[in-house]
Amino acid sequence: MKAVILDGIVLGLAFGLLGVGMTLVYGLGGVINLAYGQIVVVGAIVASLVIERGHSQALAAVVGVLAAAGVAVLLDLTLMRPVYRQHGDERILLGLLLTLGAAFVIGGLLVWRYPTGALFISILGEPISILGVPMAVGAVWASVIALAVGAALLLFFGATTFGRGVRSVIQDETGARLVGINPSFVRTVVFALSGALAGIVAITQSMNGPLDVNRGFELTTFALIVAVVGGLGSVAGAFLAGVLLGIVSTLSAHYIGQYITTVILLGVAALTILVRPRGLLGR
Amino acid sequence: MTATVEETGSAPRRGARLAGYAGRAFLPIVVVAAILAVLPPLWFEDSPFTTSLAVKALVFASYGVGFNLIFGCTNQLFLCVGALAGVGGYSTAILSDRASLSIWAAIAVGTVSAAIIGGALSWIAVRRSLGIIFTGIVTLVFSLAFTNVLLGQRDLTGSETGLVLNEAAASLGDDRVGGYYLFAGVLVGCLLVFRVLQLSHVGWAFRGLRDDEMAAELAGVDVARYRIYAATVGSAMIGLTGALFAYSSGFISPDTYGFQNVDVRVLVLVAFGGLGTLLGPVIGAAVFAILDERLSASLELREVLYGVFVIAIFLGFRHGVVHAVVTLFNRLFARRRAKSTLQPSRE
Repeated sequence: MKAVILDGIVLGLAFGLLGVGMTLVYGLGGVINLAYGQIVVVGAIVASLVIERGHSQALAAVVGVLAAAGVAVLLDLTLMRPVYRQHGDERILLGLLLTLGAAFVIGGLLVWRYPTGALFISILGEPISILGVPMAVGAVWASVIALAVGAALLLFFGATTFGRGVRSVIQDETGARLVGINPSFVRTVVFALSGALAGIVAITQSMNGPLDVNRGFELTTFALIVAVVGGLGSVAGAFLAGVLLGIVSTLSAHYIGQYITTVILLGVAALTILVRPRGLLGR
Repeated sequence: MTATVEETGSAPRRGARLAGYAGRAFLPIVVVAAILAVLPPLWFEDSPFTTSLAVKALVFASYGVGFNLIFGCTNQLFLCVGALAGVGGYSTAILSDRASLSIWAAIAVGTVSAAIIGGALSWIAVRRSLGIIFTGIVTLVFSLAFTNVLLGQRDLTGSETGLVLNEAAASLGDDRVGGYYLFAGVLVGCLLVFRVLQLSHVGWAFRGLRDDEMAAELAGVDVARYRIYAATVGSAMIGLTGALFAYSSGFISPDTYGFQNVDVRVLVLVAFGGLGTLLGPVIGAAVFAILDERLSASLELREVLYGVFVIAIFLGFRHGVVHAVVTLFNRLFARRRAKSTLQPSRE
């Protein structure tokens, strides 16, 4: 039982890290980035190519994160511009459809070019014992990274001027413009941040097992579930929802069965929308 | 619509005008039916391969008409077309196989269950006043959960290996002309229902709530009820097509009704043809069937192309490529016709 819950927390931190990139972009401009999973895969494939060339895993991780951030910026500078010119429902719908299109373009190109591409970062070492439960080193590393990123994000949004600027755009675009903040620059930066987070997801996921080129859609789905349950736009909410969902997920996988787990997670997301549309910690 | 609004002229003349209007409204459907009827003898009578391609195009055109009714007419983003078709298909397969129900009864049950589920989803969305985005997420979640249940209930659905329907009549198979005419009939039926709805008071309500929901509500249109109508009728079309397709192809698997296989395609082809138009889904399905055949060598590149199409359509041709072509045509020939025959009902 203790082992199952610990596994759940590890999985949950990974979920939280996955959801946070999605939730940031939505909070800022009302765009649900359906190409998010594909950006993760871009990071993974680029990193795996760097490793193939014989470079170190650390360098590969950095290059992968940068590549994912680069793709995100590219998306923001091209496809997102017309989206942000719209307002309300129109903006949401156009953002949804354009990123869906982008997801197919990116995913299709990657599968076409690297049909067997996969990233696996192996971290050697004895299992580390936590509360008497031996945990794989890779999983512990992934969790530590997720926690560090979460803390850094909270610090960034709470204590830096730019972070406060981002929050002001989330609250009121016109108001932010009036006090001299350029919303479109802020959006580009947050899109880059979300891309970098996607790259970090690629690295941490591949520490637990290979991340292959076909996982994009699945990753997008989980990111969406976590973001919805946590409250779209809330960083702390994404991590809280991630950990809760992670524990639910491992418990149900352990006691009920693997296939029903996905159905339960999907059910939790649907229930959240119906009962509390703003999510756990949403505004 | 001008003919019915103007109050001039004597009763018989008005009657004649109405009849003329109705005739013009149904003309596109008659033309489509005629083309569909003569296509096999002229083109592919003895090629099972081409026939099955044509059947697939017809199936997707019918899905498209149903989706168009839900999304194009009443702005409900239903990302569960595949799942609704799957409800029809799997109910039919399981009922006829396990409960030894007659195949036509099973198809009827499948259609009704799809309609009920679609209506219920719409009811939930309307009741909780979910915006377009949350409707999209809830239906997407339903769609993914449905696929997972199919994969999990191995004894009932055969999981990835799929189900074989034994009772299918050979002459209605999806590579026979009989199957072709079956689905051509379904498509024409769906188009007729779509047009009749557009011409009735329901169509007025649809246009009202599509243009401005708040204004429609204030003008006394029961937006919630018409949304649920559209979702129920549209889902019935999708469920019926899915059920018949299961029967006709004789084999179904979760992939047959998967999100990536059905929903994306339907969205692309309806958007290509023009959201909310009568013939949009038919034209979209025809174009994409031809495209698919040309690109059958590379599945991945087809995916890329779909993505490019989605982006291009929603960036450049918000009213559909067909509309853009018709507009261009009208401008070139300087014939400022008030309405094109393709879109008689969208002023």
